[in-house]
This record gives sequence, structure tokens and C-alpha cells, in this order.
Amino acid sequence: MKEEAMQPKKHFRKPRQLRAYFTMMKYFFLAQTRNPATFAFGFIFPVVFISIFGLIGNSPQKLTVGLPTESNQNNPIITAVAKQSFVKTDKEDQTTLENKLRQGKLSGIITIQETSQQPPKYNITLTTSIGNPQEGASLASLVRGIVDQTNLHLAGVTNPAISVTQNELSGRQFRYIDFALPGQIGFSLLSTAVFGTVFGLIFLKKSLVLKRMFASPTKAITILLAQGSSRLIIAMLQTLLILGIGIVVFKFYLPHGVITFIELLFLSALGLIAFLGFGYFMAGLANDENSAGPLVNLITLPQFLLSGTFFPTDNLPTWVQPVANNLPLSYLNMAIRKITTEGGDITQTVPYIFGMLAWGAVMYILAARTFRWE
Amino acid sequence: MNDIIKVTNLIKKYGDFTAVDGISFSVKPGEIFGILGPNGAGKTTTLEIIETLKPLTSGKVLVDDIDITEHPWEVKRRIGVQLQSSAFYPELTLVELLDMFAAIYDVKSEPMKMLHEVELEDKAKNYVKQLSGGQKQRFSIATTLINQPKVIFLDEPTTGLDPQARIHLWDMVRKIKKNGVTIVLTTHYMDEAEQLCDRLAIMDHGKIINIGTPKKFIEDLLATGFKKEVKVEQATLEDVFLHLTGRRLREE
Repeated sequence: MKEEAMQPKKHFRKPRQLRAYFTMMKYFFLAQTRNPATFAFGFIFPVVFISIFGLIGNSPQKLTVGLPTESNQNNPIITAVAKQSFVKTDKEDQTTLENKLRQGKLSGIITIQETSQQPPKYNITLTTSIGNPQEGASLASLVRGIVDQTNLHLAGVTNPAISVTQNELSGRQFRYIDFALPGQIGFSLLSTAVFGTVFGLIFLKKSLVLKRMFASPTKAITILLAQGSSRLIIAMLQTLLILGIGIVVFKFYLPHGVITFIELLFLSALGLIAFLGFGYFMAGLANDENSAGPLVNLITLPQFLLSGTFFPTDNLPTWVQPVANNLPLSYLNMAIRKITTEGGDITQTVPYIFGMLAWGAVMYILAARTFRWE
Repeated sequence: MNDIIKVTNLIKKYGDFTAVDGISFSVKPGEIFGILGPNGAGKTTTLEIIETLKPLTSGKVLVDDIDITEHPWEVKRRIGVQLQSSAFYPELTLVELLDMFAAIYDVKSEPMKMLHEVELEDKAKNYVKQLSGGQKQRFSIATTLINQPKVIFLDEPTTGLDPQARIHLWDMVRKIKKNGVTIVLTTHYMDEAEQLCDRLAIMDHGKIINIGTPKKFIEDLLATGFKKEVKVEQATLEDVFLHLTGRRLREE
């Protein structure tokens, strides 16, 4: 019966997928570039963040010293203190300065009384706040050092018995940007992969766009691969943008130049592929935007906070650290820092690469079980 | 000539619920075949099974003599599908969408020719969201024709359209039929079924109640002695509206 129905003239061929894949990738990419949300979250946000972090890193710690207008201003001690490059002075009346000190806006107040003897003698009172012991101590040691030197000078001692020579090794100044930029790359990759994929796919499912394409001879897996690939291109552009601004504007340090740069792109691509697994899994679990919102935040927020994106995980309590150090975003952040701030080479990142791949594999398996077309 | 579509004892169940309950029908090449029924009758499910978008629970479906469960890719290659809502990327222009559809059907890309066929050349650089309801449906029909299919499936093509846009779409469907394409459509409008379809299957609660030509249905009903209380109307309000606003579409 079936043989009768099948006419021999029909020749069946397997559907070709390659042209469909590349054409879909091109248009999915184009569609994303025209989407204002992609543009804002993917490109504007990272630029704003990185600029803020870059500016934080560029202003070194300063001591702000209050000099009451009532006190003697014209003496060698004040001159020596104010000469220091890291000291800022604030001249106001005693009460205002004391209030500022209590509010933590000053490191300390130096009050100097001159005696009427000739040559003049000085009584120095240093007021600091117990709320800000570190700056208080720094200022105290600075003032003591200057006072000691001046005393020796006045006593005519030119060759004291004990002398200190400080050697400064030439080295790279560690700035916050060097910590923050790798975190920013991870942050924007995870956002693009999870938020973009989940909300993008839910929209395409609900509006039957996926179903309409699935009615063509192009296989479902080809459609999803083209989706993922176009997102990978977007994410690589984001990474390039963040790195570009970091390097050009904020002098982000690449220990091995171009090689480090290429290694960074490789790690970013790998990270994104792992994160896309989360995106596909969540897009399968959630039926609409309302249920997707909490799910997506559940996946991304803890990672943003715990994986060393904005501050080092060393600051976290020890019982959180095993979790914090094994999140997929932590692996990416640690791998990127290994080759940038720590100046290591790519072979040292192998454990992190395996970590990301393992997370990715688990997510893709779960995604394959939950994904639906409508 | 063989039937272009042959459905035998088709059943579709969702758990305990039977959406399609053992229906059989065939569609002849070159005809406009309508499935008429209220919402929830199982029209869309039937269509989506034939389109290989949903698996069937039991039964047999042949499209152009090809078994849809054995060779779904061959069936997909031979058919054109229009879904109920306009299912297109909002950020791509009509030309870009048609180019993409040509690629996923693996056929030559001729977007302007396709747009010409559905009278949308001047909208080439527009996005789908900028089209009117009738234009959206016509664009959707253009994507169904891209692979020169033997059959196209239209799921409630005129739902939500104003009278002029409906009549324009009917004209277009007739033109497609003239080119030798078989058309299967669902509708819940009686006038659409009567004026457009060569043959009809009336469907309710997952079953086909009857199959025939619109004329035969009416004659059979009259033969039972049925008489409708009729005042002979020379014109309906719809005729007035069309007369005043112009029969041809007058969109944007």
C-alpha cells in the first residue's frame, strides 16, 4: 500500500543547512543591533561602568588636613606638611573643622601655638578621630617624622646615629581599574547571554517567529545555533569595546601585549558559550516574561555579587568562599585575572576553562530537556 | 489525479483531552479547501499536524503522496505555512525577511518579485509593525509562496481585518489558486467559506460533521424542507459600506 503511494520519481534529499545558518546568523545579528535594549545593556552600560571604575582607580589616597585659622599658619612644620604631594589642606575655623573631622571628611587637625620665646618654640596638637584610625595614624606618623627632623636640625645634629634609607622598587601601580575591567567583561557577557537569550527567545516563541521558521526545511538545531552565533558576535564586540576603552583611555595593563589580548578574546568566547547554556535552559523553564524575570535574577544576581565581579572574593566570609569560587562567572573572572593582573599565561587557566565547560555542559543537557518551540 | 492531501483517521490527544477525534478527508489538487468551525473545534491543531509542526497521536497523513511522519522534511519543502499571528522578526525589513526565508527554504532569493506578487513593493524597506492588518497578512502569504509550494495553509487569514482588506485578500487567494496552488484555509466566517471555498469540511468538537461544496450544503438543507424567513433584501449594510468607501482597497 505504501509502496504504491510512493512514486519512484520523487527523489528525497537531506535539507541543506549551511546557507540557512549563515543567512540567519547575519539577520539575527542585524536584528539585535537594531534593538535598543541590546544597545543599552550591551554597550552603553559597560561603557558607563568602566568609566566610573576607571575614574575611581585614578585618584590615589589623599590625607586631608585641617588647619584652623585661629592657629599659627606661618611656621616650618605646616610648610613641610603642606608640601607633601598626597596632602590636601583645609583652612577653616576650629569648630567647623572639628565637625568635619567627626563626619569623616578630614584625616586630622593640626593646631600650632607659638611661644613668645626667641627663637620661637611651637606646641603642636594633632587631633584625629577614632572613627578613622588609619588616616589618623598616617597623619600622626607624618607629623612626627617632620617634627623629629626639624628638632634634629634645630639642635644642629647633621649626622644622626641612626638613619633610614627607603628603597622604592620600580613597579606597576595597582589600580582599581585593573581589578574591575576583567569583572566588567564577565558581567556584560553573562548579561548578554542570559538576559538577551531568555527574553529574546521568549518573545520569539510567543510571537510564533520560531514556529514559523520551524515550518521550513531548516532544522531546529540550525536555527538555535544561528541564534547563539549571532549573540556570540555581539558579545565579542562588547568585549572589544570594554577592552578598547580600558586600554586606550584608562591604560589597562596587558602583561604580554597582543598575546594577552587574543587570550582574553578566547576566554570571553568560551565564557559566553557556557553562559548561553544558562540562557537556553531558563528560556525553556519560563513560559513568559513574568516568570522569566525572577528566574533570570536568581541566576545572575548571586553571580554578580559573589564571583569577584565588583570586589575580590577574599573579602567574603570563609563559608561562602567554596560557593563563590566555583560559580561559572567566578571561573571566567579568575581566568581573565590570571592572565592580566597576575601576568600568567593561558596554560595556568586550564582548571578554570574546564570549570566553565563543565557548567556549560550541564546547562546544555538541561536545556535540551526543557526547551519548547511555542 | 491523486489527492494532494489525504488524511485518514487522524487523532490528536493532549493527555485526556482529544483535540482531533478520528477525522478523515482529502483535498484535490488546485482547489480551495476550507475547514469551517467555531473556536476550539480543532481546526488549527489539524492544520499544524499536516504542516508537521505537531506530532499526531494516531492516523495517517499524506501530503503529495508523502507520509508526513516518515519524511517531514520533504513535506516542509513542498508546503507554505501561514500561522495565526504575524510571526516575523520585528527588527527586520520586508526585503530582509524574504531574503532570510529564501535561505531557510534553500531557494533563489527574489524579495522584490515576491513583494510584487502581493502588491507590497512600496513597503520593501518597512518593518512588519508598520504594516496594516491586511498588509501583514499579504506579506505573510508572500512568505508561504517563496518555495513555490504545491499547497499553502492559511490559518484564519481574514480574522480581524476590515471588509475592504478581506475582499482584497480573497482576490489574492483566488489569484494564487489560478497559478495552480492548492489552498487549505480555516475560518469561522460563513460568508468567507461560502464565497471563497470550493469545498468545505465543517468541524466541531474535534470531529468533521460533513464535507461538501457550499452549494451542495445549501441544497441539501433546502431539500429537507428548511425554509428561512426571508425578506428579500436588495442590498446589505455591508454593500452600502463598500459602495461608499470603494471596493478596492484604499489602504494608506
